Amino acid sequence: MSTSTTTKNASPGLVQRLTKNWFYLTLVGIAVVSLVRIVTDTNDLDSAGTLRAAIISTCPILMAALGGLWAERAGVVNIGLEGQMILGTWGAAFFTYHYGPWVGILGAALLGMIGGLLHAVATVTFGVDHIVSGVAINLIGAGAATYLAEAVFSDYEGGGPRQLIGLDPPTIITKTPVISEAALDLADKHWFFVSDVASVVAALTTNISTLTFIIFGLVVASAWILWRTSFGLRLRSCGENPQAAETLGVNVYLYKYIAVLVSGALAGIGGGFLALVSSSGYGAGQTGGRGYIGLAAMIFGNWRPGGLLMGALTFGYTDSLRLRDTDAVHALLLLVALALLLIAALRAVRGQINGAIVMGVAGALVLAWFLLTDSVPREFTVMTPYVTTLFVLALGAQRLRMPAADGQQYRKGSAG
Amino acid sequence: MRRLTKLSAVAAVAALALAGCGSSDSGGSDGGNKPAASKDVCKTAKGDGPKIGLAYDVGGRGDQSFNDSAYVGLKKAVEEFDATCVEGEAADGEAESAREDRLRNFAENGATTIIGVGFAYSDSVNKVAPDFPDVHFGVIDGFDPDKDVNKNVAYLGFAEEQGSFLVGVAAAEKSKSGTIGFVGGVHNDLIKKFEAGYTAGAKAAKPDIKVEVAYIQESDLKGFGDPAGGKAAATGEFDKGADVVYHAAGGSGSGVFDAAVDAGDGKWAIGVDSDQYLTATAAQKPHILTSMLKRVDTATYDFVKSVNDDKALTSYQVYDLKADGVGYATSGGFVDDIASDIDGYKAKIISGEIKVPTTP
Repeated sequence: MSTSTTTKNASPGLVQRLTKNWFYLTLVGIAVVSLVRIVTDTNDLDSAGTLRAAIISTCPILMAALGGLWAERAGVVNIGLEGQMILGTWGAAFFTYHYGPWVGILGAALLGMIGGLLHAVATVTFGVDHIVSGVAINLIGAGAATYLAEAVFSDYEGGGPRQLIGLDPPTIITKTPVISEAALDLADKHWFFVSDVASVVAALTTNISTLTFIIFGLVVASAWILWRTSFGLRLRSCGENPQAAETLGVNVYLYKYIAVLVSGALAGIGGGFLALVSSSGYGAGQTGGRGYIGLAAMIFGNWRPGGLLMGALTFGYTDSLRLRDTDAVHALLLLVALALLLIAALRAVRGQINGAIVMGVAGALVLAWFLLTDSVPREFTVMTPYVTTLFVLALGAQRLRMPAADGQQYRKGSAG
Repeated sequence: MRRLTKLSAVAAVAALALAGCGSSDSGGSDGGNKPAASKDVCKTAKGDGPKIGLAYDVGGRGDQSFNDSAYVGLKKAVEEFDATCVEGEAADGEAESAREDRLRNFAENGATTIIGVGFAYSDSVNKVAPDFPDVHFGVIDGFDPDKDVNKNVAYLGFAEEQGSFLVGVAAAEKSKSGTIGFVGGVHNDLIKKFEAGYTAGAKAAKPDIKVEVAYIQESDLKGFGDPAGGKAAATGEFDKGADVVYHAAGGSGSGVFDAAVDAGDGKWAIGVDSDQYLTATAAQKPHILTSMLKRVDTATYDFVKSVNDDKALTSYQVYDLKADGVGYATSGGFVDDIASDIDGYKAKIISGEIKVPTTP
């Protein structure tokens, strides 16, 4: 029973076990990356610059994924994330232009929330098919943003019917005293393990937007709210078995509305990040399908905050890596091969022989590909983010289980 | 409950609509230098000259680049020949048939000169042109997709490699690190021409220069509208030691400019298609070295003029340095000190002494 984790006795043990596991997993992960970096002599694999780019490209996807999590945990499939994100880019630009970047972020959330409200009205109140409504939201979001941009931004300074550039970004931490320089120095030495940790520290302390920390904070906060509070338990019960929730006195409609509104707001913030941090303004079509990628990251992340974080990070990292350095993509093959082999070993230890064999074979194939070639063809490098994310998460996740009543129509009083 | 939800639906729609109204009011008061976007020559022109149809590519008027440049040419032609005009704009990811319908619509409504802006109109013009033998078609950056020659179609191409060569010279001469960069939007033949000319120009000025090359997308046209991707790619090149980065990435270019700003003093970006110094933000301006100019306006105007003079252009037309179809921008004055060098190469290209490659 996934809903029983809030019992008081289980919770400290679980937290301890999880943190311990994550700690060891991170150590092993860094060691593997470090090894690959040295063996392939590709220092750009985890340089501070690469990691910074990876974080920037992760954030919008992460917000979309988190938005998807909120909605789907309450039983509403939200494929309108892309549309809500587009609305968010417009909202961020408009409110930043007038009131500064922090109000801009709130504006992005507000516009995303309006998209969420439309989706909630259609799916929860009127019982429209979730996919149909989601597609409509995507079309409306794109259309409304195009229309609003042309109507509003055309006369602004730095604006045009298709764009509004030159917006102020939210506060950026350019340099943390002592830590930044020490970490960068250490990272440049290219030592095993130590330099890799230093790269991470440098990336997190130098030239980083404060909005980034807020976004990662939102992931933690969402995990806590959804899995550690009675509010979250009720919300998730609406996604698992709304009839049962109804018989226990939960106002299912209200919870679904809240979930979808939060979902839209988060997707909107993702759009805001794209307009204010990833670049410095609104541009038509700048979301480029990141809302869908977020949705996919959430599904492969097994509808869990930790999983979707891994998914978004994998995608963000590989996407920025192939943009920065096409040679590094070849080194990435070795990394993927080792990761697969490691998971295979883990499976074998746990006695899941079939899974271990599948993973082992896949790992060996990727390893062979790495050893037999010198570079990855150009046509393939663009697919890298998609293929890697699919590979690692699809094979890594043992069993995907979505909320039991996800995407189903619920009518009040249907519990009989 | 029902009534409440209907109310909220109405409220949601109203909120969207009101957001539009409210903001355009306030926008009027603090708008600084307004672009020409709100005044459209096609809405006011009432002359009795020829009727011109202009079909924009994705992005449409207001992209401050390619399409806007075509509009400038159109405006000049309309005013000079006392013409009237109709416009249409492609939507992102629209079907091929939508482009054909747009062109057909123009022709049936009496347009005698029709210009498709962008290579994406090549196929549709090829299909529509035979049905309207008396209408003259022009395709900017176009090509004939099959072997049947259309007598009423002109393909207005540019020698982008020649203009890119000149900014390549500028980049190499301004570079202190000995490394420069190139960011392409999509890895297709058209953008490879930019890369080839740029690299050739840089090597001509400094034989041992290193050129870092990155493309945002392999074939997906969204690479031209992804500033975040442009910024990531350019930042990667600056991190690798490049101090000048040239972009041929359309709307993604603003991300490249942002990357130059973030990289700090002494780091440059080079614009493309139009003089991007003029449309850049105040923060970006000190970092925009020059821009490779592609005179879409010249080509557009020229084509209309040729039709008006009864000497309609057909087949392939190349606007090169000689015809003033490409060039480089001097706004900002950052290349004034090396202008004589650049013009020296320009003269050599025009005289044929230097042949600029079109593939990298």
